[in-house]
Amino acid sequence: MAGIVISGVSRSFGTVRAVDQVDLTVEEGEFFTLLGPSGCGKTTLLRMIAGFCELDSGEIRFGDKRIDKLPAHLRDIGMVFQNYAVFPNLTVAGNVAYGLRARKVPAPEIATRVEEALALVQLAGYGARLPHQLSGGQLQRVAIARALVIRPQVLLFDEPLSNLDARLRVSMRGEIRELQKSLGITALYVTHDQEEAMSVSDRIALMNNGRLEQIGAPAEIYRHPASRFAAEFMGTTNLVEARTLGLAAPVWVSLRPEALRLEADAPAGWPRVAGSVARVEILGPITRLDVKLGDGTVLKTATLDEPQRQLVVGAPVTLAFDSARLTVLP
Amino acid sequence: MTFAIPHQQRLSLAIAALGFLFLGVFLLYPLFNVFGSSLLDPEGETLTLANYTKVLGRPFYRSAIVNTVSIGLAATAITTLLAVPFAFVLARLPIPGKAAILAMAALPLVLPSFVSAYAIVLLLGNSGIVTQWLQSCGVGFGSIYGAGGIILVYTLTLYPYVLLPTIAAFKAVDVSMEEAAQNLGSPPGRTVWTVTLPIVLPAVLAGALLVFIETLENFGVPFVLAEDLPIFAVEAFKLFIGETAPNPASAGVLGVLLILSTTLVLLVQRRFLASRRFATNARQVPPLLKVGRGLQAAATLYCWAIVILALVPFFAIVVLSFLEFRGPVLHGNFSLDNFTGLFDRSLRPFANTLVFATLAAAFVTLIGVPIGYVVARTRSGVATVLDVVATLPFAVAGTVLAIGFVVSFNSGPLVLTGGPLILVLAYTVRKVPFAVRSASAIVHQIDASLEEASISLGRSPLQTFLRIMVPLMLGGILSGVVLSWVTVASELSATVVLYSGPWRTLTVLMFQSLEGGGAGTATAAASILIVVTLLPIALLYRLVRRYELS
Repeated sequence: MAGIVISGVSRSFGTVRAVDQVDLTVEEGEFFTLLGPSGCGKTTLLRMIAGFCELDSGEIRFGDKRIDKLPAHLRDIGMVFQNYAVFPNLTVAGNVAYGLRARKVPAPEIATRVEEALALVQLAGYGARLPHQLSGGQLQRVAIARALVIRPQVLLFDEPLSNLDARLRVSMRGEIRELQKSLGITALYVTHDQEEAMSVSDRIALMNNGRLEQIGAPAEIYRHPASRFAAEFMGTTNLVEARTLGLAAPVWVSLRPEALRLEADAPAGWPRVAGSVARVEILGPITRLDVKLGDGTVLKTATLDEPQRQLVVGAPVTLAFDSARLTVLP
Repeated sequence: MTFAIPHQQRLSLAIAALGFLFLGVFLLYPLFNVFGSSLLDPEGETLTLANYTKVLGRPFYRSAIVNTVSIGLAATAITTLLAVPFAFVLARLPIPGKAAILAMAALPLVLPSFVSAYAIVLLLGNSGIVTQWLQSCGVGFGSIYGAGGIILVYTLTLYPYVLLPTIAAFKAVDVSMEEAAQNLGSPPGRTVWTVTLPIVLPAVLAGALLVFIETLENFGVPFVLAEDLPIFAVEAFKLFIGETAPNPASAGVLGVLLILSTTLVLLVQRRFLASRRFATNARQVPPLLKVGRGLQAAATLYCWAIVILALVPFFAIVVLSFLEFRGPVLHGNFSLDNFTGLFDRSLRPFANTLVFATLAAAFVTLIGVPIGYVVARTRSGVATVLDVVATLPFAVAGTVLAIGFVVSFNSGPLVLTGGPLILVLAYTVRKVPFAVRSASAIVHQIDASLEEASISLGRSPLQTFLRIMVPLMLGGILSGVVLSWVTVASELSATVVLYSGPWRTLTVLMFQSLEGGGAGTATAAASILIVVTLLPIALLYRLVRRYELS
């Protein structure tokens, strides 16, 4: 087991800089996520580590060992693919044993390790089945068992949950996180889903246009976005000029909807802004609210459902905000 | 290490290099020599266009060009007009026996067309059985020899090239498009004409193009039926083999012209189809149309008539091979003399056919499947060039390739003429495009992440290819092997140029008895060819059925 050290890595496709001078260190045993919109370079970076994409410059090391010149099949990586990539011509056990056979592990040991791995992903007893007899969630478990069983130095996840339905996605991400922690394997996870990234990761690297936008713990990036992009990509936010909120500095600030409240619900010390209701969206437990200020700026906020409260489009309303949660953006 | 090739490209590049080596030596070099011989003066020293002006200056060869092209166009038009309604009926109308019709309709693709031509001669020729019977009834008809007979045989043997892709296209039409048209007020007949037909047009044209190229390159059918009518492939053969004065230069000219015309047709088709991609994603096969009894009966009759007419000649040959011939004259008694006559000298031609077909099918697979894999998986200039070169044999008539082989491997570092290997190599080159096409089609359907998963689990790219790709492609590879085997076994045009002494095959035997007038032996050879062709197909069919059932 080892951490991953990425230094000065770049790759261009034609004129597009897919990955641009990326420096990154993933600690040993850490669950690290590359997060970003499609085309940001996160998958390219993952495939460079896996050995399926050449580097134009830079180097990648596992611990002290440089691996970017090593053929993909000698890198000792467990990889979980978006579309599972379970071999349809092999049984579940055959799939899980595949990497062990490639490593010439003796047959009796293969048998026990395959069983252990299947038990680990809650597929004990499924060894003899063929992939076409399994559901999507089960196939992804096979793929995970197959990647874990070889006891790789590093686990790579390439959007592993995006082909599953919403409910299964939520439970699987919890399982993946637990497995990784209990085994202590360094994991690099790629996703475009901000909520998924926050739920599983120790740290997140936010990527945009081939560059690292911000690195940090999920809460840190959410609460203290370093850029407009980071503020907008990590959930909903209000990007406004400070003047609009009655502040003097000529800067842009990010204010999360939950840092805004209706005047009646807010602590006394919070600054106020007045406007009118522009849109009301009742979602059940919460009600989303767009408030239009005097200068035309629209602020998004939300309140918990409250039957007595009458919110009508056009009605005047006063909001209060927590100035401690304002983030000034460069 | 000064020049590093990325690891994941090494396998593809190695395959591409071997592919180029093989195709370079056994395709490009012979073709280059055909070009060369057509451009050199009789002393072989200076470049000249004199051969071209000489050949094109003679009305005989000019008429060969006109005949070949006009027969090809006529056959293509008739084939298309027959096959498109046929395809529509099979795809959209409720008619009995569809599975049987489909199975039988595919057979002319693998059965040798010159056998059909020969059967037509035996039935409808000057002293043909049907001709004589009609004459005794007082009915006469025009000669079957010449353009009419050739077009008839082309139509009967080549119609599946249009039929099969068109059926698939009709089935892939998204029925909501037709519904949209009807919803906008278009009656059903007009909807077929204005919506459905335009959508399937690219498939029809692709099939029609195959028919046209087949007619340009075909040697056996005009050899049997043309009589005095000059036809391209036959005249190239005669010029090259010519008993009086072999003339490789003039044969080269005809060969080059033939290659240029097929290439031209292919390029035109590519340009035309490039702007017309109407891929529709039908989520389900369009429902059968409800039609009246009368129309249904007419449609059924129409389909069965075409299928059966196309197979009658082959059936007739098998029956005739068990009857007694005296010279070219048929007597009505049952006899095995034709077969004993065929084999009394030796079983060698039969064995040769089996061995050559097996070797060639193995080579075709070993060369074509890896090339198809590279073509499908790699996005680079190398892969594109490899694709073009590997498709090239498709545009080269067997006669022309064989002439190139003789010119290239008669002397020099690699002498192959007079041996069996030259036949196997020519067959391999001719059938490689089919293996490449079918292999790349299968690879396109296999997700690349399966290979990446295998590699990241510790198998090298080569092991991954053997352990993951080959098993997944096996069904397709197997049918490819059978198809190449079958078509090689009945190959005629390259064989008659390249065979020698003890290395005669069944097709050569038949060819020689055609020339020598030994009708009995010819029917026996033809019957055996038919059996040799149908047996593996039947086995494959059973195998596929069992595989699908399990």
